Amino acid sequence: MASSLELRDVRKSYGKFVAVDGVSFAAPDQGSIFGLLGPNGAGKTSSIRMIMDIIAPDSGEIHLFGRPRGPEELRRVGFLPEERGLYRKMTVLDQLLFLGEIHGRRRRELLPAIDRWLERVELGQWKKSKVEELSKGMQQKIQLIGTLLHEPDLLILDEPFSGLDPINQELFRDLFIEHRKQGKTVILSTHGMELAERMCDHICLISHGKVVLTGGLKEIKRQVAGNAYRLVAEGDLDRVRELPEVEHAVVQDGVAKLLLRPDAEGPDALRRMVEFLRIHEFRSEEPELEQIFLKAVRDAA
Amino acid sequence: MRLDNIQIVARREYLQRVASKGFWIGTVLFPLFAVAMTVLPSVFLARTKTSQQVVVVDETTRVAPELVKERPDPKSSNPLRKNDEMERKISSVQFVVEPAGVDRKAQDESLAKRVLDKEVDAWIRITPGVLTGDPVEYHGRSVSNFMTQGSLERRLSDAVRRVRLADAGLDPDKIGALSKQVDLKTIKVSKEGSRAEGGAGGFFAAYILFFMLFLAILIWGQQVMNGVLEEKGTRVMEVLVSAVKPFELMMGKLSGICLVGLTQFAIWLLTLVVLSAPGVVAALGTLPDEFKLPSLAPSAAFHFLAFFILGFMVYASFYAALGSAFNNLQEAQQVAGTLSILFAIPAMVMPMVINSPSSSTSTVMSMIPLFTPILMPLRIFVETPPLWQIAVGYALTVGFLLLMVWFSSRIYRIGVLMYGKKPTIPELVRWVRYS
Repeated sequence: MASSLELRDVRKSYGKFVAVDGVSFAAPDQGSIFGLLGPNGAGKTSSIRMIMDIIAPDSGEIHLFGRPRGPEELRRVGFLPEERGLYRKMTVLDQLLFLGEIHGRRRRELLPAIDRWLERVELGQWKKSKVEELSKGMQQKIQLIGTLLHEPDLLILDEPFSGLDPINQELFRDLFIEHRKQGKTVILSTHGMELAERMCDHICLISHGKVVLTGGLKEIKRQVAGNAYRLVAEGDLDRVRELPEVEHAVVQDGVAKLLLRPDAEGPDALRRMVEFLRIHEFRSEEPELEQIFLKAVRDAA
Repeated sequence: MRLDNIQIVARREYLQRVASKGFWIGTVLFPLFAVAMTVLPSVFLARTKTSQQVVVVDETTRVAPELVKERPDPKSSNPLRKNDEMERKISSVQFVVEPAGVDRKAQDESLAKRVLDKEVDAWIRITPGVLTGDPVEYHGRSVSNFMTQGSLERRLSDAVRRVRLADAGLDPDKIGALSKQVDLKTIKVSKEGSRAEGGAGGFFAAYILFFMLFLAILIWGQQVMNGVLEEKGTRVMEVLVSAVKPFELMMGKLSGICLVGLTQFAIWLLTLVVLSAPGVVAALGTLPDEFKLPSLAPSAAFHFLAFFILGFMVYASFYAALGSAFNNLQEAQQVAGTLSILFAIPAMVMPMVINSPSSSTSTVMSMIPLFTPILMPLRIFVETPPLWQIAVGYALTVGFLLLMVWFSSRIYRIGVLMYGKKPTIPELVRWVRYS
């Protein structure tokens, strides 16, 4: 099955700084939300800019819909950059018409679509207003419409939730999931692991310009499962980090989320912990994406 | 490259600007400015001094001796010739008196050949009829050096007047009638044959083109820069660049804004025609021949429009490059001010080109891409240069324009990577390579 997006050994450096260091991954073709994850400065935005032909890679190949990326393929992509921007002096309608047209759509088909979208996001009465008269949240919605208006087969979203209030976050999330339901792919770049965990079915973890982990979220979790534990206890919880069995621990409000080393056994760790803690609860659970990510980054380093 | 993308971008630029308040304010205010500007070329002209070699064939044998005598120019009665003093300073005429040949036609042809071979600049024949009021024919390569002609005309009148007075026995009552001024009828000697023509027509057309270009760039050049800066400042460019190639974007921007400029001129022209048609017609009637509005051949009109569009886009492309290279308006504007130097050079050599349109300096200058849109049409209007020179002028200008657009689109694209920092030249060069 052809991938909607595939990167093969893509590299990019700015002078001596290597931003993207041989990244390869493939996003599935049908109905998927693919998370491009990593901390700030990992090379996510640079990768996306290369996919969108905004900057040129030093080497490597980029394929869209199973073909080498060209202008025609790019027109089938809806792109929401990390830094939003619209023409301030243009009306909402003109702005959206322009964005639709540069993606190869005709005015005739755009006009009814724009009305539909504006109603959907409850901005119908702002159609003739200039963008600068709109609030920031409204502008974000307009830009999202601009991304979706030409009915792209692939959505590429760079930190789409940054700066959104909870209501708009919900709206955006619904629209992305809707897109997936239509059998299309969404590439979602974010450093928010919780959010990615709720939405993504496939992920690619990037750190320092390198892919540290990629694949289906469920499979990845299954590989790591059995080693994740939840601990509720009284005492000096921070000391659990020092245990030889513990690979990684997140401690907060009397609860510790533990990830044990692959060769370690839960009961062994528990035996050590009773020596300095009053334990209320200790049970195996599904690992959180954040834990997986932190572990993967450390393993890579 | 996709032409439909260029068209979409151009349409956006055009409609957004024509619908803006700034456009209409500028459209109302700038005609006032333009009037002030037209005063400047005579100042430039005053800086140059030319000397013309004119062969005098005197069939009467009596006018020429009077003509070569150095005398102060007689004052002209024409109110439009108030700046005689300045004219005499700029245009001096050297006479070479030659006897009339037996075969008049053969002599005319050999003289015309000497003019074309650039041995002399012009020749005139004084027939006996001149003493009774016939015009003297001025046969020159260039017929647009009207200041030199004016001076020559007055000196001829003076000389002829003296001969007439002598013939008439110096009757004071008849002096007024006899000293009637002789008009100079210009015949443009060209390969296609001689044809009578108002000498100043081409000259004015060229100046109108120059000032149209200058105005258009003054008004709209900065708009190109601002437009580019806005796209970078608002980060719209990131979405644009992924859908439209930067080259298409720049091309669309330049052609859209060029159309805005043309629209503005069309509005001015229409307003002028509608509001003042009766007044203009009346005024034209009172002007001497060489001040009549130019009547351009269709081919000249084509060159006029083509060079306006090319010239606008070439000059505006510099503003596009500036907008691409800088991050904010203040920084870009500091440099943008110096761009007007690009106009100063052709403006300064214009008078030289007018007086000797086919000199090697004029030829070379008119083929430098930045100057071609101003100097080549000037040469075409004044003394049509060989076709290959026009073709080379066009080709070089178009090539240069594409190069400039390519260059600024490279820098524009790099603007994605710029955050608030003013780039140094080495950084820019490096970025051009990276993108």
